[in-house]
Amino acid sequence: MATNAISIKSDAGLSAALAGDSMSGFEELYRKHYRRVYSICLRMTGNVAEAEDLTQEVFIQLSRKIDSFRGEAAFTTWLHRLTVNQVLMHFRKRSVKSELTTDDGEMPDSIDPDTINPEAMPIIDRIALENAIAQLPPGYRTVFVLHDVEGYEHEEIAKILSCSSGTSKSQLHKARLKLRRLLKQRAEAA
Amino acid sequence: MVCNQCQEIISDYIDGSLELGEQVRVERHLADCEPCRAVRDDLLQIIHFSQKLPLQSPSGAVWARIQSSIEAERPAGLRFRFKVWIARLRDRHFDMSIPQLAAGALALAILVSVSLLALRRGDPPSADMADGQAGLSTNLLSSTDLQQMEQRINELKETVDQNKVAWTPELRVTFDRSLLYVDQSLIECRRELGNNPADPISQELMLNAYREKMRVLEEFARF
Repeated sequence: MATNAISIKSDAGLSAALAGDSMSGFEELYRKHYRRVYSICLRMTGNVAEAEDLTQEVFIQLSRKIDSFRGEAAFTTWLHRLTVNQVLMHFRKRSVKSELTTDDGEMPDSIDPDTINPEAMPIIDRIALENAIAQLPPGYRTVFVLHDVEGYEHEEIAKILSCSSGTSKSQLHKARLKLRRLLKQRAEAA
Repeated sequence: MVCNQCQEIISDYIDGSLELGEQVRVERHLADCEPCRAVRDDLLQIIHFSQKLPLQSPSGAVWARIQSSIEAERPAGLRFRFKVWIARLRDRHFDMSIPQLAAGALALAILVSVSLLALRRGDPPSADMADGQAGLSTNLLSSTDLQQMEQRINELKETVDQNKVAWTPELRVTFDRSLLYVDQSLIECRRELGNNPADPISQELMLNAYREKMRVLEEFARF
């Protein structure tokens, strides 16, 4: 993932946090990154309480593991990976069934040319989109958030989720179609 | 190409990952098929807006919880615990924090009581301490410092009393309980200093209790 890459030298708070056990240095690090970490957690789980707990856990893990950060990767990339791993571990712990490995019977939404509304989709508002993402099945949501929101490539997602990049592509496609249907349903209900 | 075939690979088409020949076939189909064009346009919108979703913020209590957990793994002193407590106050998440807030002040009261108890057991009071007056003229706790702190406390109390009318019942309970614990600590310290005016540990405990009382009032004066 090339986005959001920053060097260790430019990361305010990181040097201080690495230099010792200063809480003020770590707080600076938190202030700089907490919104991104929380946003990833929130969009992957679709649940505020879980996202807050996971954000907490990510930063606790960060405080334990920050000594092991050697600067081979950009810190933000490293922190992203730590966050994603934490969310995935959480999914495994609570036994969320992932559509990545099971056939959930959820077929991609196909469009029947006879019933399609030819009008273009109404403009998406942010809240509607956030809600629709939260309604996605966890497996779809994970791939969608990683690819379309966070900018990961399919190969990276495949590594993170221990699946093939073909599976990642397929899940993404299903997720997008599902989102489209959810947004349309909402627009029609309004 | 029929619609189902087109829609099966439309994400790959949007992401630019199709072979050139297949891409051309999709484009030809899209040129003639309005429903499939609508799907393409909708997905493009979804992708576009997903890339621009703003970052979200957790509640302020999250940092206090993180700080508390990290410090719990380190040797933690009373001073840090109080800072955590103050941080929680600052976050104003009283629905979550009331027991913890009260626990912070209670911890102070317990610490003072236990320290003074240990002091009493360890060192019998000397004869020159039995005049019943708290000796506040030592290096640690001068009467001038004390007067300044008391003056500041009185000022803060006035501000708090003015603000209090607009507080929620939860906030009032938290404040009263917190102040009660700190005041209990102060009473303990005064009593001990009455028996042993020159004792540096009692003086330090009293000084800390005064400072904590000021901090409590300063924090609540903001509400």
